[in-house]
Amino acid sequence: MSTKGTSDAKDAENGASKGPSDAKRAESPHGTNALPEHVLEEIRELPARYPQHRSAVMPALDLAQEEVGYLTPEAMSEVAAALDLDPGYVEGVATFYTLFHLQPIGRHRFYVCTNLSCSLRGSSEIVEHVKKAIGVREAGEVSKDGLFSYEEVECLGACEYAPMMRLDHEYYYDLTPETITALVVERRAPLSAAAKASRRRTPVAAPDKAPPKKRVPRTKKIG
Amino acid sequence: MAELRGSFGEARNHLLTRWFGTEDLHRLDVYESKAGGYTALRKALLDMKPAELVNEVKTSGLRGRGGAGFATGVKWSFINRDAPGPKYVVVNADESEPGTSKDRYIMENSPHMLLEGIMIAAYAVGANQAWVYIRGEYDGPHRMLVEAIAEARAKGYLGPKPMGVNYPLDIQLYRGHGAYICGEETALLESLEGKRAQPRSRPPFPAVKGAWGRPTLLNNVETLSTVPWIINNGGAAYVKFGTEKSPGTRLMSVSGNVRKPGVYEVELGQTFRHVIMELAGGPPDGRELKVFWPGGSSAPVLPASMLDTHTDMEALAAARSMGGSGGVIVMDDSHCVVKAAARLLRFYAHESCGKCTPCRVGSDWAVRTFDRILANEGSQVELGILERVADGLQNGRCLCGLGDSAGWVIDSTFRHFREEYEDHALRHTRARWWSRRPSSSASRSRSSATTTSSTRSAPAVSAWSSSPRDRRAHRQAARRRSPKEWW
Ligand SMILES: Cc1cc2nc3c(=O)[nH]c(=O)nc-3n(C[C@H](O)[C@H](O)[C@H](O)COP(=O)(O)O)c2cc1C
Ligand code: SF4
Ligand code: FES
Repeated sequence: MSTKGTSDAKDAENGASKGPSDAKRAESPHGTNALPEHVLEEIRELPARYPQHRSAVMPALDLAQEEVGYLTPEAMSEVAAALDLDPGYVEGVATFYTLFHLQPIGRHRFYVCTNLSCSLRGSSEIVEHVKKAIGVREAGEVSKDGLFSYEEVECLGACEYAPMMRLDHEYYYDLTPETITALVVERRAPLSAAAKASRRRTPVAAPDKAPPKKRVPRTKKIG
Repeated sequence: MAELRGSFGEARNHLLTRWFGTEDLHRLDVYESKAGGYTALRKALLDMKPAELVNEVKTSGLRGRGGAGFATGVKWSFINRDAPGPKYVVVNADESEPGTSKDRYIMENSPHMLLEGIMIAAYAVGANQAWVYIRGEYDGPHRMLVEAIAEARAKGYLGPKPMGVNYPLDIQLYRGHGAYICGEETALLESLEGKRAQPRSRPPFPAVKGAWGRPTLLNNVETLSTVPWIINNGGAAYVKFGTEKSPGTRLMSVSGNVRKPGVYEVELGQTFRHVIMELAGGPPDGRELKVFWPGGSSAPVLPASMLDTHTDMEALAAARSMGGSGGVIVMDDSHCVVKAAARLLRFYAHESCGKCTPCRVGSDWAVRTFDRILANEGSQVELGILERVADGLQNGRCLCGLGDSAGWVIDSTFRHFREEYEDHALRHTRARWWSRRPSSSASRSRSSATTTSSTRSAPAVSAWSSSPRDRRAHRQAARRRSPKEWW
């Protein structure tokens, strides 16, 4: 599968070119843990907010994902331990929802809406253009610099502005190839304002270890 | 914020959107000073008894705007206000129905209107705690609600003594994580409880056993946002709008091939001609309207000839469709109904939670069948499969409405656009290279339409004499010829 191929390639690349944050990652600030102590602390405080502690699982996975970039098996089991839940249960929840990523994703992820209203107004050209602009062949593939990936998603609830997409916690409306190019250029520029503004605390890179191999494919089907 | 597309400003039928577009309406002080905000809450807490509130909403005849159109006042009365223990109000802000953006429109423009509605509802049904389940992609509306709730807390409207009345109220937000099925009420409750969002079987209904096993009132964002107007002006005033059985106005998000897509507040009982042609400006120049979805993708389609159908629920039911979520998707004659149906089936197959077999298997099966038809490999057999799958998905064979919706897409497009399906499935068959096989094989079911055109020029090879490898090569070639692009 090409996704795996590319993440391997990205591994090598990360090893070669260490940005400041990559270096930080390499010396592993939180020891063997996938999640640093302050995040775990935050997670342990979550259940008090809900009538039952189970409800904390999604906000907790959110925190973990924001920290690591995507949900590694280690991160999920640490979430499970912090919430006193079964690891399998936590993983079951994570696999159900599309906003939890079980594979490495680009630091900036394009969620391009391709549902009916957007398709009727040209979202397929937008998808083609996104692919070209960030240099990937298919959805989920991470660009060589680790900065971008894209995904075709279902209706994002802003159909009057079609074609539209979500990127870095913002909606972008009335897309044209030019807006896409501009957004990509803006995010490529090193230390651009946009990159700083990005909410993610650590860069999203593949782990130093081999990428998770026998992950269940991300699907909502149980059968 | 992006430019406003839809209704705002003064108009007879702008009950919800009257003050939209006012600068900083999302701030509490502006909402109070300019839009008369929180007067309904004050009236409800200080001057009215909970039972009176429920009755007022019953009088208004307000019906749920989330999809099913259930009478809101009746739903409120199902909750036993005096039962001991906590009760909850859960707000369905998981808007993910394709073509629907009205809840976002409300939350972005007037988050306090929603909060006010929630507080009134909570007081009416005896709940002290409300949860807003908002879809995870709605970062903007989420931020607005967070700010609005903070403002309401600071002002004391949320807290131990709102308006000086000893009735603690609190509202919490819970973010979804990208699953359409979370809009279904029982799946939403499962998700809120931190589980995989698979619908529960009913009974027990949420009013008896909802969130965390407690009595729960579940309403849509638009439904609750209408409540302050009703309390301010009285249920009797609300009935003056709309039709007898579907009173009031509703927000309709018009999208697709129209000149002015947007979220328009429409008095129920207006025609779709008014909504699509006048409010949304009709299809672009030189194009004709072909088909529209009157209530989100889940509502059965109506062809252009039914443009004069009225927007109230009874008229739509008579036209064998439904009001659904109020999302009107318009398609012009440059697009193909079969492709649109195929796209929607992909959506339903992707979003099926997998709990029941007809939906899990049937939707996937339909997608594969559509793929074959669109790859020019269709025949009568494929059409038969689609019809059977559509039937298998409907009529209570699935646990929740998602299965029915998927079935309706196939069913209604078949009903109104049978020729287009046949054209798609069969015209390519005729031109297929193996159409000149001896008529003795015509009894095979795939071929019924192919033999008629045997006079057409076709390669001299017969499929049945060639090796499987050849046939595979030809299939691949056919696929390559087929349009890669969906649109
Ligand atoms: C598959 C499916 C998806 C739904 N999605 C939504 C939704 O996104 N938003 C919503 O308000 N209601 C949705 N509903 C309807 C809800 O189940 C429920 O009827 C509604 O939220 C009740 O609120 P109301 O009485 O105010 O309309 C959906 C129903 C089904 C079967
Ligand atoms: S109809 Fe589909 S979505 Fe609904 S419960 Fe069954 S499998 Fe899940
Ligand atoms: S279809 Fe793209 S936002 Fe609704």
